[in-house]
Amino acid sequence: MLDTVREVHTPEGVALRLPAAGPIPRALAWAIDFGIRLGLLMAASMVLGVMGEAGMGLYLVLLFAVFWLYPIICEGLFDGQTPGKRALDLRVVSSDGAPVGWLAACVRNLMRTVDMLPFGYACGLVSGLVDPWGRRLGDLVAGTMVVHVPKNRRLPVMEGDGVMAPALPLRPAEQQAIIAFAERAPRLTPERQVELADIAAPATGAQGGEGVRRLAGIAHWLLGKR
Amino acid sequence: MRQEHFIVRHEAEWLAIEQWLDARAASPRRARADRGWRGLPDEDFPAAYRRLCQQLGLARRRGYSPQLVARLQELMQRGHAVMYRPPLPRWRRAFEFFLADMPRLVRAESGVMWAALALFAIPLLASFIAVQVKPELIHTLLNVQQVAEYEAMYDPALPKLGRDAESDLAMFGHYIMNTISIGLRTFASGLLAGLGPALALAVNGFMIGGVAGHLQLSGHGDPFWRFVVGHAAFELTAIVIAGGAGLRLGLDLIAPGRRRRIDALVEGGRRGAWLCLGVFAMLLVAAFIEAFWSSIGWIPAWGKYSVGGALWALVLGWLWFGGRDRHAA
Repeated sequence: MLDTVREVHTPEGVALRLPAAGPIPRALAWAIDFGIRLGLLMAASMVLGVMGEAGMGLYLVLLFAVFWLYPIICEGLFDGQTPGKRALDLRVVSSDGAPVGWLAACVRNLMRTVDMLPFGYACGLVSGLVDPWGRRLGDLVAGTMVVHVPKNRRLPVMEGDGVMAPALPLRPAEQQAIIAFAERAPRLTPERQVELADIAAPATGAQGGEGVRRLAGIAHWLLGKR
Repeated sequence: MRQEHFIVRHEAEWLAIEQWLDARAASPRRARADRGWRGLPDEDFPAAYRRLCQQLGLARRRGYSPQLVARLQELMQRGHAVMYRPPLPRWRRAFEFFLADMPRLVRAESGVMWAALALFAIPLLASFIAVQVKPELIHTLLNVQQVAEYEAMYDPALPKLGRDAESDLAMFGHYIMNTISIGLRTFASGLLAGLGPALALAVNGFMIGGVAGHLQLSGHGDPFWRFVVGHAAFELTAIVIAGGAGLRLGLDLIAPGRRRRIDALVEGGRRGAWLCLGVFAMLLVAAFIEAFWSSIGWIPAWGKYSVGGALWALVLGWLWFGGRDRHAA
């Protein structure tokens, strides 16, 4: 329950990390979808209202489609993302990390009937809290899970004039720490920058302001500037 | 090998994969239509992807910069999504499914299907007979007002059968919303250890039997049977099949056998979803017949009954013989 990232090993032997989404973002995504569905029905009822009896029939057909088919079709067509899930950067994937198929989308959405019991998705919530990867009953039966779509947004790195290679070889975690420092540095006070850069003195070979400058240079080097 | 050499040596491959993913991965149909593609050939992509995976493993193992690992990881994830996406649905396949696979699937689960039929038919017959013997029993199922509504619906004096004045299209929407929702819910509630479908089948059986018995007794039998005989073939069988699929799901939960419980459930869910697709189509046909054929009042009884008989023969024949000539797929 604490480690919600599911690590799947692909047939090629590399690890795929699937960060499971918890109940809150999923509920928010559901609420957005609910708003969209309600809007669709309102718009349709205005148009169909003037058509009288026939309009009523079409409205009921639409009601059926919005209730049962909307999530299936959205997840099938848009690679596991309903508009609400897209807004919150969530995606339904198969539990082995592959894209979700139509059949799995059908199963997980049909099973909403059970997850909704006895009220307000209580079954789904309990199942999501008990399951290590936050899957509701429908996800369990369909063999799917909802993950956060990884965001590849890089923060601007602190300014630096020089590029320099580290004085000693760095391990990946250390490299990551230095890049993270360069990303956060613009929002830190100079005193705090110095304090943090002093920890990395063995890599930079300098203390104080010079250490900060060199650390920025190393970060630029690690990010591929030469 | 130093990181710089590694990048210099493999950069061209990564760029080729990236270009292929950008240009060809999104839609296989569009990719097939585009003959002018000069980059990485489609058939070489799997090999290139596997090489990329190996390079990613090496980069991680040798502690290359996070930047490089992240780049390879992103390429690998995009490649993985393309390599392992489920096949696109095809129209021919849908046709095959409805003609052959659906009846085969139903016969493959014949045990739960017979159980579902018993759960539905026994209460139906029991309450029909009970109402014949003791007419006042109908009031244990329905209150006075509901009884009056049913009697009004099947009033022999009405020009249309089974409804008051609503248009066919309005009732079509009504039937779709109601019957298909009931069917799908009957299946899904099977996850409650099979109690959901058992309850739904029995309650529906009791109600239908009771109402039919009462209408038969009170002289509304002729319009009632003329109304229901057509669409009942599709509707009642579909509800029984949905119930059977739900029972299967419940059994997979209670008695998974030698499989892990979760594997049994996934398997049952997949089979149930296919069955639900068939149930959905059957109920769509039933709603169509109910709205536009069953309600026509002027067709004489023999016309209604012969069409109804033909539809029953069609449905049962389809379920019994459909796909028998095909080898197990």
